[in-house]
Amino acid sequence: MSLKKFSELFGDLDSINSTNNKIEVLKNFFLSNEPTDNSWAIYLLTGKSNKRFISGRYLKNLFSQIYEYPQWLIDTCYLKVGDSAELITLLLKNKTTSRNKKLSNISLNELLSKTIPDLSKLNEEEKSLQIKNIWETLPEDNHLIFNKILTGTFRVGVSMGLITKSISKLINIDEEIISHRLMGNFKPSIESYEFLINKNINLEELKSKPFPFLLANNFEDKILNYSINDFQFEWKYDGIRMQLIKRSGNVSLWTRGQELVNESFPELVEKMSYVKDNFVLDGELLVWNFKEQIPFDFSFIQKRINRKSPTRSIQIKYPIIFIAYDLLEINGRDIREIKLENRRIELEKYFSKWQNETMNNITDIFRICDLIYPKDWSDVLTFKEKSRENNTEGLIIKNKRSPYTSGRKKGIWWKYKVDPMQLDAVLIYAKAGSGRRAGLYTDYSFALWKDQELIKFASAYSGLTNNEIKELDKWIRKNTIEKFGPVRSLKPEMVFEISFEKIQISKRHKSGIAVRFPRITKWRKDKKINAADSLENAYKLMKKIS
Amino acid sequence: MRTKQEDLIRYNDGSLYCELADIWIDPNKPVKRALITHAHFDHFTFGCEEYISTNETAIILKERVGDNIKIKTFDYGEEFKINGINMSFHPSGHILGSSQIRFIFAEEKWLISGDFKLQKDETCKQYEIVKTDYLISECTFGLPIFKWDETNKIANDISKWITNSPEKTSLLFCYSLGKAQRLLNEISQTNFKGNIYSHGSIYKMNNCYKELGIDIKDTIKIENKKKIDELKGSLILLPPSLSKGSYLKNFNSIQTAFASGWMSIRALRKRSGYDKGFVISDHADWDGILEVVKKSEAKNVFFHHGDSEALSKYLVEKESINVLFFGK
Repeated sequence: MSLKKFSELFGDLDSINSTNNKIEVLKNFFLSNEPTDNSWAIYLLTGKSNKRFISGRYLKNLFSQIYEYPQWLIDTCYLKVGDSAELITLLLKNKTTSRNKKLSNISLNELLSKTIPDLSKLNEEEKSLQIKNIWETLPEDNHLIFNKILTGTFRVGVSMGLITKSISKLINIDEEIISHRLMGNFKPSIESYEFLINKNINLEELKSKPFPFLLANNFEDKILNYSINDFQFEWKYDGIRMQLIKRSGNVSLWTRGQELVNESFPELVEKMSYVKDNFVLDGELLVWNFKEQIPFDFSFIQKRINRKSPTRSIQIKYPIIFIAYDLLEINGRDIREIKLENRRIELEKYFSKWQNETMNNITDIFRICDLIYPKDWSDVLTFKEKSRENNTEGLIIKNKRSPYTSGRKKGIWWKYKVDPMQLDAVLIYAKAGSGRRAGLYTDYSFALWKDQELIKFASAYSGLTNNEIKELDKWIRKNTIEKFGPVRSLKPEMVFEISFEKIQISKRHKSGIAVRFPRITKWRKDKKINAADSLENAYKLMKKIS
Repeated sequence: MRTKQEDLIRYNDGSLYCELADIWIDPNKPVKRALITHAHFDHFTFGCEEYISTNETAIILKERVGDNIKIKTFDYGEEFKINGINMSFHPSGHILGSSQIRFIFAEEKWLISGDFKLQKDETCKQYEIVKTDYLISECTFGLPIFKWDETNKIANDISKWITNSPEKTSLLFCYSLGKAQRLLNEISQTNFKGNIYSHGSIYKMNNCYKELGIDIKDTIKIENKKKIDELKGSLILLPPSLSKGSYLKNFNSIQTAFASGWMSIRALRKRSGYDKGFVISDHADWDGILEVVKKSEAKNVFFHHGDSEALSKYLVEKESINVLFFGK
């Protein structure tokens, strides 16, 4: 497919707000185009190609050098636009002076498999010449897509769900099957498109793909009407959700973001290959504190996930564990349709079998999740409140009689998170947002009292409604004390309730504490700043937990 | 009494003010004497004892607010004197009747740009280059990310947007005065030959333009209870204030768009909630502002109405133009 054609499709999708209309546009596109074009469209729109060839910063520097634009001017513009690829597209207007239109019909294939990858073979000077050349020979309305592909930021407007729905509508096959077919790797080709739209649903090819993940809904009061015995209770771990798969003897580890991460966790892959059965397991990957038998914080996992082929010492320093909570396929048999309570029996059965046949060799890296047995619903609350002690986020409640479906289906799984900790803090800095929030002050920093001084303790950008954001933006512009680049220091006047999940000592911060997932839960217009919390209160919270 | 005037015109409480003449320019509160650059409501306040404007601006204003205001009018280029200061209106190309205002005092010229654009617009007089010593310019779109396409390209895009969805009613939101008439004029020159309806507020301004001799395509005044079939495939011009709320429930199967310079930024477009944005503005873009600054030959420039920091810095660094700031 040509870049031009894809740009047009993108333009059409981008100028519609209604989901149904978008699905209609996609469906018609698939109907009226060749399989290769369609597979390219799917490849890009689902973000399967999300490789970053150059960074947004690099793109801006490049433009600044080529067209002798002051860097500060580009940075100022960025605050309004909030996206490097779009910013450069806007600045490039009327710059296509050379009328050599060789590239006017370049194919996505050539662009993605040759033109762009080849850039990395060039030295800086050649690279900037080549990008300049592409910019000036591409039609103007293709610039945005080109820049987006270049910076790997193709996550605009169309989601996986939308693609799934439109293909499902196109061929009248259940969405779940389509979403399964879309899992894992996807190479743009006639075959991959034909595989997607195949009406035969018992495709052998699906065997190489992970299953679509089942997601939990938020806790609903209505389940309190049911007997506690209808549900299975587990701790909600704060790790990386994964499917651990062994098929035809090969172990693979897939994240929910559909990335194959075998290389980051070789010790798990190796140990699981000792198991004789083939299987698909759903579970959570954690870095484990063996001394206390609880997981370490999420920050420990981050030390592992971004590192391929970790050294032995890293493996020892950050020991991982996979906690399985569901068995979805065993020796080629898809058991997702059978009831959870029966799947659990299978899971326990196979776990003890594997322990025996490997002589407990896998147990330090692979376990199945413990179940919790509350006596009644008030006992559930007690367990929930204990979850912080176990370094978990709360409970997962599962309907014992449910099958394993895909997506966030109602009535199957619920997450029951522990109540957040809260402090009332004073807004002291604001920074302009990016993306959809470009040009508005939406990134805020909050402070707590220490004697007569306000000390910054957290930054947050979520939790306000659009109207509140607009109102606060106006206030910010009127109550700025000083500007430092994109940041404004503000008159201390506004108090907000900040909620967060964890609080710990941090030497890196002036306040001496760090909180996890801070967000705004209330604009406390009723409070004056002297009624905001003190750092001392934050320390007290920390003591209460440990 | 001042003689050499570094501050002949100052920013006073949010509006431009010339103390020597005791005259305000587009004041935001009732004052004794007000010069009005054009008839948009954000440049007009009720209750001034006397208004001074071009003939067209006066006629449009009276159409909008009634006859109960005292306006003195002058032609473009006609000089008049207040407290010894020579003043004159010059076309600014923003909307019909819009003007720049030049002050001459002690052999020095001051020019207030008013809202202006350089682009083609057949519904008003083309911007006139006026030489000056001091320039006070608007800078609503004073960043290089704002570059306008040719008007007829946008008009063709609008025409395609309507004709590609013949089963839908296309609602195009735009300012009632100026933008709507410019769009009508441009759209009538495209391939779109379907019906065009306009909201009462726009319809009224269309007639006003026609009376002033501007060629505006006839439109049908939109009634709330039009049959849906009748509206299919046609274009309806509406003021932006109707885009939120219950008004849209009058229509079935619609697509919406907003015609404004701000629509060039995707985040703003998405936030605004319209399906589509057409980038067309009655203000100058970045290049337009730079061109006016250069061609005016002003040695000293002030900016207002917009974020002027980047523009000022750019002119100082790149063009060595002295940019001054109003003491606020």
